[in-house]
Amino acid sequence: MKILKTVNLSKTYGKGNIKVEALKNVSFSVNKGEFVSIVGPSGSGKSTLLNLLGGLDTPTKGKVYLDDRDLFSMKEKELSVFRRRNIGFVFQAYNLVPELNVEENIALPILLDYKKPDMKHINELLDILGLSERKHHLPNQLSGGQQQRLAIGRALATKPSIILADEPTGNLDSKNSKDVINLMRMSVDKYNQTLIMITHDQNYASYADRILNVEDGVVTELGGAR
Amino acid sequence: MNSYLSIVNRYLAAHKKKTRLTMISIAISVALVTGIFSMLDVFLQYEKMQVIKDIGNYHILVQNPSEKEMQSISSRIDVQNAGRWIDYGRGSINNIKCRLGALEEKIADNFDLKVLEGKYPTNKNEIMIEKWTAESLYLDKKVNDTIKITFNEDDTEREFVISGIYNDFAYMKAEGIPALLLSSDSNNEINKYKDLYMVEFKNRVNINKAVEDIKNQLNIEGDRVVLNERLLAVIGQSKNSSALWLYSTGAVLFFIVLLAGVVMIYNTFNISVMDRIRQFGLLRCIGASQSQIKKIVKRQGLIITLKAIPIGIFAGVIITFACSAILKFYNNNLFGNISVFNFSPIGIAAGILVGFLTVFIASSLPAKKAASVSPVNAVTGSNETKTKKTKKKGLLTKIFHADIAMGINNATIKKKTLILMSCSIAISIIMFLGFNVFIDFMHKALKTTKPYTPDISLISEEGLSNDLYKDLSDIEGVKNVYGRMFGYVDATFDAEKLTDNYKEMMEDIEVTDNGLFIPPEKSWIISYDTNQLKWAKTDLLEGELSEDKMNEKNGVIVVARQFRNNIATHTTNLQLGDSVYIKTPNGTKELTVMGILRTVPFSDSELNLTTFITTEKLFTELTNKSRFEAIDIQLNSRKDEKTVDVIKNKVDDSITYLDARQKNSDINQTFFTMALFVYGFVAVIALISILNIINTMNTSITNKTRYLGVMRAVGMTGKQLDKMVLAEAFTYSVVGCIAGCILGVLLQKFLIESLAETMTIFWKFPLTQVIFIVIITSAVTLLSVISPLKRIKAKAVSEVVNSL
Repeated sequence: MKILKTVNLSKTYGKGNIKVEALKNVSFSVNKGEFVSIVGPSGSGKSTLLNLLGGLDTPTKGKVYLDDRDLFSMKEKELSVFRRRNIGFVFQAYNLVPELNVEENIALPILLDYKKPDMKHINELLDILGLSERKHHLPNQLSGGQQQRLAIGRALATKPSIILADEPTGNLDSKNSKDVINLMRMSVDKYNQTLIMITHDQNYASYADRILNVEDGVVTELGGAR
Repeated sequence: MNSYLSIVNRYLAAHKKKTRLTMISIAISVALVTGIFSMLDVFLQYEKMQVIKDIGNYHILVQNPSEKEMQSISSRIDVQNAGRWIDYGRGSINNIKCRLGALEEKIADNFDLKVLEGKYPTNKNEIMIEKWTAESLYLDKKVNDTIKITFNEDDTEREFVISGIYNDFAYMKAEGIPALLLSSDSNNEINKYKDLYMVEFKNRVNINKAVEDIKNQLNIEGDRVVLNERLLAVIGQSKNSSALWLYSTGAVLFFIVLLAGVVMIYNTFNISVMDRIRQFGLLRCIGASQSQIKKIVKRQGLIITLKAIPIGIFAGVIITFACSAILKFYNNNLFGNISVFNFSPIGIAAGILVGFLTVFIASSLPAKKAASVSPVNAVTGSNETKTKKTKKKGLLTKIFHADIAMGINNATIKKKTLILMSCSIAISIIMFLGFNVFIDFMHKALKTTKPYTPDISLISEEGLSNDLYKDLSDIEGVKNVYGRMFGYVDATFDAEKLTDNYKEMMEDIEVTDNGLFIPPEKSWIISYDTNQLKWAKTDLLEGELSEDKMNEKNGVIVVARQFRNNIATHTTNLQLGDSVYIKTPNGTKELTVMGILRTVPFSDSELNLTTFITTEKLFTELTNKSRFEAIDIQLNSRKDEKTVDVIKNKVDDSITYLDARQKNSDINQTFFTMALFVYGFVAVIALISILNIINTMNTSITNKTRYLGVMRAVGMTGKQLDKMVLAEAFTYSVVGCIAGCILGVLLQKFLIESLAETMTIFWKFPLTQVIFIVIITSAVTLLSVISPLKRIKAKAVSEVVNSL
């Protein structure tokens, strides 16, 4: 079952002399429960692609379908609601809310959807994340690895259709990186979660089911690692 | 945590310092609005009492009323009180000039008239006298004594029995003319000089409409009804052009106060929201919709406002209490009954309204901006700073070092912040300059006692001896004694120096061969002592006022403005160094003009060519007179009755004793009541403006903590950091100062020139005010960056850089 599909997705920045084609006619699709990693050198257009997939940015041309919905035909408000229900983000810089503790950071996306957080689910997540002991700590009281695990937990909280992770291990040492990758792999396996991850590291890319390579705005399939 | 909105509380709690600064800013603005509007409200209450005391509690008067008119007016439902005031004109008692009148008993209270002894006159032959006149120095009468009065109106002598003694009329006392009151309804055979019917309307009556109504109903011609303009002005019902000027000026200025409140709040709120753009972007990424972001920002505004408004209101009310307390302390007689704790519902309401409304506006606009931020930009940290396509010329770095250039650049690159910060400073300056117009107005509209105003004057046509002068100087409790001699001389000078105006008035002025003219009129000459010359300095146009030099070089001082029949004219164009020839008993004497005075505080009823002032020594040489016509006395304390009694003992029949103490203190109190509020307005505005600048700078720096940390991390020294921040702060101040001064001066010019034509206030460039503003703004800018910088520098670089 295809959960994500892009059609001729293009993005250009600037005009005239300083025109940069970040993405050129990208078309691919992702099935439910797939773990896809995107690799490529800096400036190849990886982040642009991910932002477009998450509806954080608008393409110059082309379409993105998530769960058969055309992201860019939606109105801003609709898109916000769609995003919070269907897309989870994980960033390189964690981007946690510094004033909220661990538990609250996880519950925030649910609260934004005007729903009562399911404490059982949250506690289970905290267990998986290994953060049960620290649920009342603030983000700056956690290590980098713990912060990133928390960010993944937050992305998982709403049980989204897809999680988009932008270099989630970029700021971490190898042990913590491994933990984070394992956690993501497990969420895919355990919850049948779909996950797209950008990474620099070929080793971590190999944890994925499929690898996409981006170079000069062109996306090519490198085939599955498993 | 039950709702995503709890994030607001968490944020506020986690950023106490920033929250406090925002709160202070809103409190300051609310305090400004509440303070100014409460002060205005309370001021009008006090001013109303003051006006009622000064000119009486009546709204209109009807001249020469008929019985029918009086009856019909007094029975009107909107009339509170009405009564008759009859002026029987002048009279004399044993050659003492006096004024005669009658005031109906039921409105005696409206004119602050109280019977101290005896009773109100009711019968035809009864009369009431002022307390001061009962003394031996004047009429020397008691209750039930008889008194014979000659009425000037019909030149008849009548005999009266004194039925009562009432409190003093300050102005009559100062002029030494007793005012006597007859019965108001039983002296119909005496000629009336003026017959007036004084009407006090009830509260909240539309007086202009009521007046029209009365005129129409009773067929009264327009000019028979006279309005008490000052009282009407204070209660907001005057249509007089000065009052309308005041109203419109007030409206403009108070609108600016409201605007200032809005701008100040908007500015801080904007800073605080822009600071969190990144966080809002992050929330957007994890699914917050635009409207949720707006709600968060608005909630934040609401929470801060709810805390800040009471603080602001409290501060504003305290300012008002302080004004009331000062007034009560200073003038307990008049304001003793008003409570210090004078709450103004209008002021408080204005404060609350501005607080809420502004936070609503100030939070919805930045909220919109915050909501529309692209999540990508926010999260990746790429600012929305638009880099211009044109290549930077690097001009700033050529002129300044990198640190200063960066500071200026930081300030100018974000146009909106620059505009808001400068606006906030500029509007404070505009307010300050605008309210200064009221000071001009006050000095123009109200009389004040001058340094030379005497408390007691002794006047004698035969002259007062030098011994008396010495005696008076030696009395304990006397501050100053100064005498004046007056005389008339034949003075001539170069005929060219007479104004054309005067030549026309005099028609044929004969000019002799040597260019001098034959004086058609005498000139008035006055002697001044050292003190009086010193006091006259404020009116000095040119030259100098030195007793020694004048004695040495036969100097004389010319007074430029000459009063002829109470009209100010210029009769001469005498310049410094011109010669004046005065005919003395010992031949003609040549004097040199050594100074030119604008005016003198006395006027003469005679028509004179011009007025000269000279020293006592020269005056005696010129006129052979050496006795003072008038001796003025100033006391250390106006309430010192003992000293006054000693002075009174030295006065004999040939001397007129004038006691202006009560009049002086009345004048001072009237002035003080208004001055307190006018200066109060200006002081509050200045204070609030200073606090506002300090707070805004503080906020702007505190919000840059991280940026400044990064600068230190890349190698900026503490000094360079100071320079950079100061350069940025001064950019805001300078832009604000320039804009504020230009607009403020234009506002002043506009208020004075286009609206105050009838007020004879003239606009001139307010140089001292502008200099004051520049100095204060610079000092405040410097001061305001010191403490936040210190705080930032005290923290470790890593701590600052890593804080989100």
